[in-house]
Amino acid sequence: MARRRMNSDAPDGGWRPRLAAGVRLRVDPADGRERLLFPEAALELNETAAAIVRLCDGRRSLAEIVGELTGRYGTTGAIARETAEFLGAMRERRLVE
Amino acid sequence: MNTSPPRSLVAELTYRCPLGCLYCSNPLDFAKRRAELSTGDWSRIFAQAAALGVLQLHLTGGEPLLRDDLTELTAAARACDLYINLITSGVGLTEARLDAFRAAGLDHVQLSLQDGDEAGADYVAGAGVHRRKLAVARMIARMKIPLTLNFVVHRLNLDRVGAMIDLAAELGARRVELASVQFHGWALLNRAHLMPTPEQNDRAEAIARGAAERMRGLMQVVFVRNDYLAGRPKPCMGGWGRGTIVIDPAGYAMPCQAAASIAGLEFPNVRTATLGEIWRDSSVFNAFRGYDWMKEPCRTCPERERDFGGCRCQAFALAGDAAAADPACEFSPHHRTVISARTELSERINPVYRTARSSRDIVHRNNSPGG
Repeated sequence: MARRRMNSDAPDGGWRPRLAAGVRLRVDPADGRERLLFPEAALELNETAAAIVRLCDGRRSLAEIVGELTGRYGTTGAIARETAEFLGAMRERRLVE
Repeated sequence: MNTSPPRSLVAELTYRCPLGCLYCSNPLDFAKRRAELSTGDWSRIFAQAAALGVLQLHLTGGEPLLRDDLTELTAAARACDLYINLITSGVGLTEARLDAFRAAGLDHVQLSLQDGDEAGADYVAGAGVHRRKLAVARMIARMKIPLTLNFVVHRLNLDRVGAMIDLAAELGARRVELASVQFHGWALLNRAHLMPTPEQNDRAEAIARGAAERMRGLMQVVFVRNDYLAGRPKPCMGGWGRGTIVIDPAGYAMPCQAAASIAGLEFPNVRTATLGEIWRDSSVFNAFRGYDWMKEPCRTCPERERDFGGCRCQAFALAGDAAAADPACEFSPHHRTVISARTELSERINPVYRTARSSRDIVHRNNSPGG
């Protein structure tokens, strides 16, 4: 199987991210916060990160995700940059693909 | 004491196992511990664990595949929304069973391999199983079930970490763990065989670092150094009774898989207490919580909140006192036992495989007068 090399380069806007197999998002009943579960950890997500991950359904493109978040949280290019950075880092850890 | 909730449950479903690995984490006297909890017992424990705050469940053993009710157990755990990781040798895993586990809610498989080389792997396992395990790894990847490969590394195989990483990539693992042997139980008996040399460790670590960089985004490569070579102790279990509950096959609850090696602890059992009572109130789980139990040099050490004084089982095994500083720490008054172990390497002593027979011999020896 030929696997495309993925690196830390910024992801492009056409990418349609989704949670990788074996990664689950769920609410932690202990504190009501959302956590990303995978074998090595239960990663606590802040509100923004959780909002991004919830939109990673494999149908929306990165550009569309940024569009939705911008509509929800307001203006600025910071959302585009931060979303791309966050999802790039998550992809590096093979949590989203 | 106010305690934060446990986040992870390690369920040792059985001590039966077709392998005899020289570094097995099961207790030395496993052969006399034959009782196993029922399907109903485990289902009750999973529900109590989830209610208590546990998010992750690790199904292990022995070899968990030897439980005929593994599909039912998986379904019971998934019914409480636990994240389910199956830790297995893979021996006996068929496509039909794996399919049933997946349908029941299994999230992830962690498969053990003993080496990148067949002869080396079968020597350490004491059984000719490596080839079958490779076939199982391929099957898991083919079925697109997320797979972590775990290699325990030690003097006999550390020089082949490059081959192990290549093998893991070829098998389609999402993550490969190169975890240095930790000297408890069986591994401690076999320390003279397994103790890595510092040079060997440094070379392997550099190879793993290079591979982690090269394979970034494709496969995670994680190397864990042997604590005898680290100078500072490992933050064992993230601290005693801070996040993990281990349940042994008979229902005894422990803060770590080696805790039964500490003499004088009366372990609570899930048949006679709830997991919540065990976690909050049992003397065992409170024995080394917080910092008040610590002695010098830990008590006033600025590192104590990072490493929790290291491993209690190792302190008991090497210093004779479970509340002492872990001798792996360079500040421990017993650190010389760790230093001298680095040079006590020998191929002349017979290795002791983890078999029911050697387990019974060990129990018998310990029970003999003057033994």
